[in-house]
Amino acid sequence: MIEPIKMTTRPGRQAEIERAGFNTFLLDSDKVYIDLLTDSGTSAMSDNQWAGMMLGDEAYAGSKNWHHLWDAVAEIYGFKYMCPTHQGRGAEHLISQILIRPGDYVPGNMYFTTTREHQERAGGTFVDIVIDIAHDAQAEHPFKGNVDLGKLEALIKKVGPDKIPYVSVAVTVNMAGGQPVSMANLRAVRELCDRYLRSDGQPIRILFDATRCVENAYFIQRREDGYKDKSLRIILREMMSYGDGCTMSGKKDNLVNIGGFAATNEKDVYDKLTQLVVVFEGMPTYGGLAGRDMEAMARGIYEMVDDDYMAFRIGQVQYLGQQLIDAGVPIVRPVGGHAVFLDARAFLDHVPQSEYPAQALAAALYLDSGVRGMERGNVSAGRGKDGKEHFPKLEMVRLTIPRRVYTDSHMDVVADSVIDLYERRKSISGFKMIYEPPQLRFFTARFEPVRREGFWGPGGRHS
Amino acid sequence: MAEVKTGSRTGPDQEDPAWSSGAEPFKIKVVEPIHRTSRAERERLIEKAGYNLFSLRSESVYIDLLTDSGTAAMSDSQWARLMLGDEAYAGSRSFYRLKDAVANVMGFPLVIPTHQGRAAENVLFTTMVNPGDVVPNNMHFDTTQAHVEHRGAEARNLVRPEAYDPVADVPFKGDIDLDSLEATLAGKKTGAGPTGESIPLVLITVTCNSGGGQPVSMANLREAAGICRRHKVPLFLDAARFAENAYFIKIREPGFAGKPIREIVREMFSYVDGCTMSGKKDGLVNMGGFIALRSRALYERATVWAVLFEGFPTYGGLAGRDMEAMAQGLEEVVDEDYLAYRVGHVAYLGRRLKEAGVPIIEPVGGHAVYLDALRFLPGLPRERFPAQALAVELYVEGGVRGVEIGAVLAGRDPRTRENRFPELEMVRLAIPRRVYTRQHLDVVAETCRGVLARRETIGGLAFKKEPPVLRHFTATFKRI
Repeated sequence: MIEPIKMTTRPGRQAEIERAGFNTFLLDSDKVYIDLLTDSGTSAMSDNQWAGMMLGDEAYAGSKNWHHLWDAVAEIYGFKYMCPTHQGRGAEHLISQILIRPGDYVPGNMYFTTTREHQERAGGTFVDIVIDIAHDAQAEHPFKGNVDLGKLEALIKKVGPDKIPYVSVAVTVNMAGGQPVSMANLRAVRELCDRYLRSDGQPIRILFDATRCVENAYFIQRREDGYKDKSLRIILREMMSYGDGCTMSGKKDNLVNIGGFAATNEKDVYDKLTQLVVVFEGMPTYGGLAGRDMEAMARGIYEMVDDDYMAFRIGQVQYLGQQLIDAGVPIVRPVGGHAVFLDARAFLDHVPQSEYPAQALAAALYLDSGVRGMERGNVSAGRGKDGKEHFPKLEMVRLTIPRRVYTDSHMDVVADSVIDLYERRKSISGFKMIYEPPQLRFFTARFEPVRREGFWGPGGRHS
Repeated sequence: MAEVKTGSRTGPDQEDPAWSSGAEPFKIKVVEPIHRTSRAERERLIEKAGYNLFSLRSESVYIDLLTDSGTAAMSDSQWARLMLGDEAYAGSRSFYRLKDAVANVMGFPLVIPTHQGRAAENVLFTTMVNPGDVVPNNMHFDTTQAHVEHRGAEARNLVRPEAYDPVADVPFKGDIDLDSLEATLAGKKTGAGPTGESIPLVLITVTCNSGGGQPVSMANLREAAGICRRHKVPLFLDAARFAENAYFIKIREPGFAGKPIREIVREMFSYVDGCTMSGKKDGLVNMGGFIALRSRALYERATVWAVLFEGFPTYGGLAGRDMEAMAQGLEEVVDEDYLAYRVGHVAYLGRRLKEAGVPIIEPVGGHAVYLDALRFLPGLPRERFPAQALAVELYVEGGVRGVEIGAVLAGRDPRTRENRFPELEMVRLAIPRRVYTRQHLDVVAETCRGVLARRETIGGLAFKKEPPVLRHFTATFKRI
């Protein structure tokens, strides 16, 4: 089954991006030619998943689709208990509310926008424990998402195990450019946490943000000694065995348009999940999802660990990345699992970070070819408790590839447009922010070019 | 039992909705097989489930009347629109179709989609309600009350007193008591803040679910709106069953008989500043909800929380296809023939039960028939949970799953730890929309009759395991 998309014209795009306040989040989808805003919820489901949609059991309690999902999580992830939620942030909200107490510290291998917001609302303080090299866009490292064990141990010694409700390990690390974590690193984090017991006698808890866990498993298979002959299924099970649970956005690796879950090996955490899920999401046996969506997610969980599928998936992302590297375009290296990240500070080295170079580059790309990417830089990072902007080291435009949706020909169009823009980059002006919402500002903020005439530039091939 | 009453409110017998609707205004296009289990099997299954119907697997149930929420059969048009879902994260055209449908049917210019109704409540109350506030409502539904209380505010029920009388034959038993509303608003402190008793909004639930699906009259909405306007407090509808409420206005309230449902719906919403909506009821979908608003300023504030809890404002935690199906459902639910069928279908079960001498809450509401467990099992002490016991027996007798709305649901008083015994002890038989036929309802009526015939043998239940919160979902019991 296909979905038609429309080619757009430059005058049309100019009017649309202006109407959207130069924020690609505020563009209407039918004004976009190739939509690389996100890989979240944008997958093409398989015929098998659509068949499952017809088997939705919409009973409020005891739906058979819930049992199928429970079994899929047990079999593929290996967790004992599972509670569905309407999507990933629903699971993060519940886990944060259940485990974090005011004054706690939550170490994690780089922040993610909604995750950190939920941790802070529950009274926790996020502490970045990713290895330093993750913040250097151009530096090559096979596992750039690894946890810095020294940073983690220093934090544990400083605040004590009781102040750490869990260590949050993202696989892969989205904000670092979709960078993986090695199995050796996961094992070492587990060993470190096992050495520090809380006052209840339990080791420090490890929870995965497992959103793109199979993409991470693929990088382990390709890059880590001893794993090249192991299947993704086996690698994923080993990865998950080093944690006590996870939050999952089914909208990524589970290949669905809506859905998520929280999983745990701890009975009392599960009991609390079932109590809180009723307030915010739905009954524990549907968690804010239609029965058919649980069925599609259960089937997606089996499909995601197919080795051939994942080789295609990552291969397509690498294909786009390699074209840009060959043309000398500055991108985050190495190319990650779900997206190619343009290094906007290097790309627009004439635009200071206070003028949001990534925001400007994303708008310019849309204007050039109707390709929609997303800012992941100063705008996304927001402000600290002191009201000052974070000015993160990474200032990027994310070109996120939806799963099983676009062909390599679409990737060629994207590469051509980015390379063309790079050649006339000096014509692109920075931005000033003219509307700033109080939370998660990147979603709805509005901008204006600092040099208006300059921004529209001479126009590229598509003008 | 008293013989069936007719006429006084709904005109001559042939205009009684239980009989006047004729056959369904739809035919069946796709089926889902269900299985009839044997009595011996059900005895075994319910024992295994700890005598808690929530713990039964759905395939163990023959006729599932646990809820009307999310259990509707969608139409062929809705399924077609599932295929048209635009899953773009931002600016999805499916969102604009939903926005147009809400503007067209309800008259609100602004919409924030949410994954279901309770999520709409969470977003709206996080935006508007502060600790120490009071939120008046005709009667809060349980999740609504939970969200108000989660914000540290008091959920105050101001329904007219007859709502608590199971047999008072009043056409609009869901009306808010206008004198109480006036008194509550007159006593409020001015200015919002964490210390004063301020009233951030007034809610009216249509139809009034906790009161038995009882409707609210147009006159009551109009006057409540006038009171709220005088006191400068915004008025919102909990609109989950707005179309069923509109139909009751049409058939019961003077001056509305000749008006199209769409006009009645628009008038209902014209009196309020916004609504929360569970699309799983009158949106005719399996998943979905929204907040609808007029105020741009409130919309801007609410979207901040929507992003955090639900999703980006143009998808709100729903797949694009689900927004499509809900947009279509909103247009279908205001169809006159559909509503005549829907309300008539529920009234039919009520009528069959009355004929069989089964004590029910009257008049029958829009989405469910409520059995009055205290009259059904008069000898059984409240400590033995007569409604829970009755619900269990209905399952054993005929594989019918209802839900207890009584002492088990009410829980314990947080201070004294004593069981709370609400005024009404009921089993709700909620009818999913467009799912079961009259033959299924005949089986339900026969099942109730069968239990009634052996009611002397029912000894009630005691807790085996009682969880500390929301005990009704996971408690286990033993038979006495």
